[in-house]
Amino acid sequence: MASFVELVLTGITSGLVVGLAALALTLVFGIARFANAATGDMMTVGAYAAVVSMAASGSFTLGVVAGAGAGIVVALLAHLLVFRRLAARAPVTSLLASIGVAFVIRAAIGVAFGHQQKVFGLPVVRPWRIFDVRVQPIDLAVVIAAAATLLVVFLILYATPIGRRMRAVADDRSLARVSGISPDRVMVTMWALAGGVCAVAGVMLGAKTVVSPDMGWDMLLPAFAATILGGIGHPVGAVVAGILLGVVQEIATPFVGFTYKIALAFFVLLLVLLVRPAGLFGHSEGAR
Amino acid sequence: MTTCDRRTVLKTLAGASMLAAAPGLTLAQGAGTFRIGALNPVTGAGGPYGGGMQKMIVAAVEAVNAAGGAGGRKLEVFAEDTQTQPQAAVLAAKKLIEINKVQAVLGTWASGVSLAVVPLTNDANIFLMHCSGAPALSGPPANAKGLGYRFQATNDQFGRAFAEICAREGFKRPATMAFNNASGIGNTEGFRKAWEKKGNKVVETVVYEPSQPSYRSELQKVLAAKPDVIVMGSYLADTTIILREWFQTGENQKWIIPGWAANPDLIKALGNEVTEGLISVESVSNEQSQAFKIYDAAYQKAMKQSGLNNAYAAMTWDMVTVLALALEAAGPNADIAAVNAKLREVANPPGKQVSGFAEGKEALKAGKINYEGASSVLDFDQFGDVTPDFGVSFVSKGQLSRKYIVKI
Repeated sequence: MASFVELVLTGITSGLVVGLAALALTLVFGIARFANAATGDMMTVGAYAAVVSMAASGSFTLGVVAGAGAGIVVALLAHLLVFRRLAARAPVTSLLASIGVAFVIRAAIGVAFGHQQKVFGLPVVRPWRIFDVRVQPIDLAVVIAAAATLLVVFLILYATPIGRRMRAVADDRSLARVSGISPDRVMVTMWALAGGVCAVAGVMLGAKTVVSPDMGWDMLLPAFAATILGGIGHPVGAVVAGILLGVVQEIATPFVGFTYKIALAFFVLLLVLLVRPAGLFGHSEGAR
Repeated sequence: MTTCDRRTVLKTLAGASMLAAAPGLTLAQGAGTFRIGALNPVTGAGGPYGGGMQKMIVAAVEAVNAAGGAGGRKLEVFAEDTQTQPQAAVLAAKKLIEINKVQAVLGTWASGVSLAVVPLTNDANIFLMHCSGAPALSGPPANAKGLGYRFQATNDQFGRAFAEICAREGFKRPATMAFNNASGIGNTEGFRKAWEKKGNKVVETVVYEPSQPSYRSELQKVLAAKPDVIVMGSYLADTTIILREWFQTGENQKWIIPGWAANPDLIKALGNEVTEGLISVESVSNEQSQAFKIYDAAYQKAMKQSGLNNAYAAMTWDMVTVLALALEAAGPNADIAAVNAKLREVANPPGKQVSGFAEGKEALKAGKINYEGASSVLDFDQFGDVTPDFGVSFVSKGQLSRKYIVKI
């Protein structure tokens, strides 16, 4: 029983990383209407910025803040230099451009930091035992960081005027426009949010694993799966779907084996989409 | 240039026809030479080794030519960089084969690179001598023509060495964890076969997928079998994550890990406490041999450091030496097939043991020879594979130090 609970905990923390990446994907999709393939590499940016600033300052918290900052800056740059100019074109143009942005970010990181792995150098500690369940301090930190990020994002989305405008644009762009909502400011806020969320996800992933130029790109497919499962464009759905996929993967592996772990996530995705084509939380009104 | 007058066209045509004639020219000049392509990882992940590997090809060729050449021919080297990437390696190999008309490609490193280059050398009916571990390079289709020779240990041999170490250290309940690719599974399957041959059992086997945010469920499965040692077929990044999560479970096992994963970078990433007692296994050169002394002198001259630092440079040194001995044994104007037929004859027993080209050339006049190399005793089996020795290092207080050598 204890081992089962441990598997669930592992699934939740892995799922939170994927869920945050999916949240960033879904924010961009809901408002800018394209799947941002640079999401993973914006995670990598956050992780590298955090590793560097933590090495300089010695503080992990400062690293998280610096990582988030770097993610925001890179996302805004991508918006201003690339995506804003393509906004009038078909969404597929932006999708292709985002693959290009992903390559540029990854190559730049590879040139600047090399391909050797980096680590945060957090102290490796023995676990706490709570009712015979092993709990890792790092997992607790991941959960707290994720919860704080989600709180900030949802407060902005649901409790501020700019958040209301973002949701308005996501719901109906032309209606929002005739109501006097400037798409420019909404876009800037959205990219800043998406970049920050990506970066925090990247820092969490880097703290759990190792930091390398390919780390974010490798997470893109699971993040896409969670985005679709949650209902494209639905922020709560993305996070819930990420956690769901993580937990299902972990608790099923004793039965199906580890080589099918990744395939299993897509099997769950398939099943859900057969029953609910719009995803768990999506509305069935087509592209959102 | 926007226009293209008749004169320019004529010049270009004249230049092109001269180029077309050029291969004939080199062939006419090249009757007395044997052309070697030095295709090494000068940049990329193999960068720490590639420069030395290439310099040792050049140095060994100089030694052969100084001894009057092989089979009446001088050797000539054309050097290229693989960048440790299959795409770049294929382009460079094409250039070596089609433009330089090399008759052997020497010193490719990393299995992905060798597997990409071997179809080209096979099509051209020339040698490929490489330093890669993938079992697929032994048999067909990669080595269908028998022109591929491996100077590095196979992943299967690594597995056998792991089994020897397990027995020697007195482990009773080993479990394995393998990265899901040919190299990772090759290591742990090789271990399982050798270990079961000794009448033992592997208590748990896990094959894991790369790039996961956590390997805890994989670890949980392995640890549930209560192993006393975990044998890995892994790389640096996944080993870092797995060992960190293992330490966080609070368990106490020993680990046997291939040297390319259990290296100073791993210790730096995890710290002394986690890595204490890790066993790191890598193939080592034939360090006590006379051939190694000759190679070491050449390496020190070219690289200003000990030849012990680059096991792969000892391999490329041996490639040139053994190829030249086969050329000498095959006699003047022998074609590739005739040289290939002599390769095992000069490298394997029976025959007088020799340690260098000049000595071997002399001894060939009297009868059969057996070249004992700098990288290993260099006896090729039916697949063109050699059996090097393995160095076993233990991590203590953050330092790797070699404790003993295992022969398989």
